[in-house]
This record gives sequence, structure tokens and C-alpha cells, in this order.
Amino acid sequence: MRRSMSFAVFVAVVVLGASALTAPPRNLAVVAPQKTESAEVKIDNFSFGPPTLTVSVGTTVTWTNRDDIPHTVTSSDDPKAFKSKVLDTEEKFSFTFTKAGTYPYFCSIHPKMTAKVIVQ
Amino acid sequence: MSGGLLGTAAPLTADVVLLLETTMGVALLFGAWLARTRRFRQHAWCQSAIVLLNLAVIAIAMTPSFRLQVFPRIPAKLSKPYYALASVHAGLGTAAELAALYLLIAAGTRLLPEKLRITRYKPWMRGVLLLWWLVLALGFATYFRWYLPRLFR
Repeated sequence: MRRSMSFAVFVAVVVLGASALTAPPRNLAVVAPQKTESAEVKIDNFSFGPPTLTVSVGTTVTWTNRDDIPHTVTSSDDPKAFKSKVLDTEEKFSFTFTKAGTYPYFCSIHPKMTAKVIVQ
Repeated sequence: MSGGLLGTAAPLTADVVLLLETTMGVALLFGAWLARTRRFRQHAWCQSAIVLLNLAVIAIAMTPSFRLQVFPRIPAKLSKPYYALASVHAGLGTAAELAALYLLIAAGTRLLPEKLRITRYKPWMRGVLLLWWLVLALGFATYFRWYLPRLFR
């Protein structure tokens, strides 16, 4: 009886050991779910708010026109990193920043309206 | 695109157009005065230059702006003063410019056949001048609505 128990334990150890050796390696590190960041800029009373927005790489920024006249969101860079169509009241424009840097922009209808997005 | 000259929210192009159109409106009145004082040759040169300059301003500055900012939104948004003023200004402005071009060709050249020419120039010219100033007033209203919205709040 004792011999058969020992044999059974031996077999169990061998099987478990073999399965441990043949199993594909498991990544034990905890992977956080991919976080999609977003930020908002409001266009109102002839200004972008906030005038300077700091975000991390991969962030999608959405501009919403809350003014009662049309505006655009146009990159000041050459070539332009982003450029919206003419946004009427309550229309939105989104852009995802995939590279770090400073992105100044303006309204092409009212060029004195300027702001920037800093991507870190 | 750079900022304007007049300290409003307008771009440089809009300010230049406003100043040019105002000057042209006053110059047309001066041209009418030339006709009243029987200096018809100077009158013809003055009015013709203004009509052709205005045609260039329409083609270079006004039409692209209208196509970009207003045309895609009409007729759906015509109830908004922003689009309504610009649309009426564009419609009457086109009529005024075409009428002025017609007068220029009919009175200043022999390009048109006899049938298509007018004989009573005075009422036509006065009518076009009146329409021109109405369009100019609408142009001012459009400028104020687009670039000085605080006046409307």
C-alpha cells in the first residue's frame, strides 16, 4: 500500500514536472488595459479654451464650437499637422496627437484666435 | 493668414476688401458728380475702372470666402443672420456687378447689338448706383456680424 502511494506520488510529480517544462512560458507581468486619453477644447466668444493644453502622446483632442459663428481649427505648422473644416455652432473636430511636440493652431476665419497643444 | 488692419477679429484680406469697397463706393459717387458736371469722358473712365476693380475683388477675395464659409451651409442655415446677411449681400452684389458690367459694355463700347443697348442711361445708372450702395451697406453689416459679433449680443 505504501509502495503504491509512493509510486502514485512519483508519477504525479513526473507528470506535473513534464507539463511545467513543456508548457509555453507565461508572461506573469500584469498588463494594464490600453488607456485611450482624450481632452476637450471649447471654442467660445472668439477664443479657444484652454489656450494652452498639455496632453500625453496618443491623446485625442476634440474641439467643440460653442460660439454662435463658425470657426476653424487650423495648425500653424507647415505642413499643417491638422486642419478642420469650417465648424458651425456645436460642431466638433477631433485629432489624435501621436508625436511629442508643441502644436500651435489658429482659426483661419479669425486669425487672432490662437492657442496651442503641448504633447509630452 | 495674418491679422487685420482695423483691430477687429477679421483677417487682413477682409479688412483690405472693406477699405477697398468703401473707397470704391465713394469713388462711384465722385464719378456720378463728374457726369453731372458734364465731364463724361472722366466719368466713363472712373466708373469703368471701379466696376473692373470690383470684379477682381469679387473673384479673388469674396467668391473663395463665400464658397468656403457660406455656400456649404445654405439653404439649411439661412435662418442664421451670419449666413443670411452674406447670402443676400452675395446675391444683390452679383446683380449690381452684372448690371454695372452691362452698362459699361452698352454705354462704353459697340460690342452689343443695337437691340440689346439701352437708350435712357440716366435712370439705369442711378438705379445701379443705388443698388451698389445698398450692397455696400449689406457688406458692412456682414463684416460687423462676422468679425464684431459683440455688437449683436
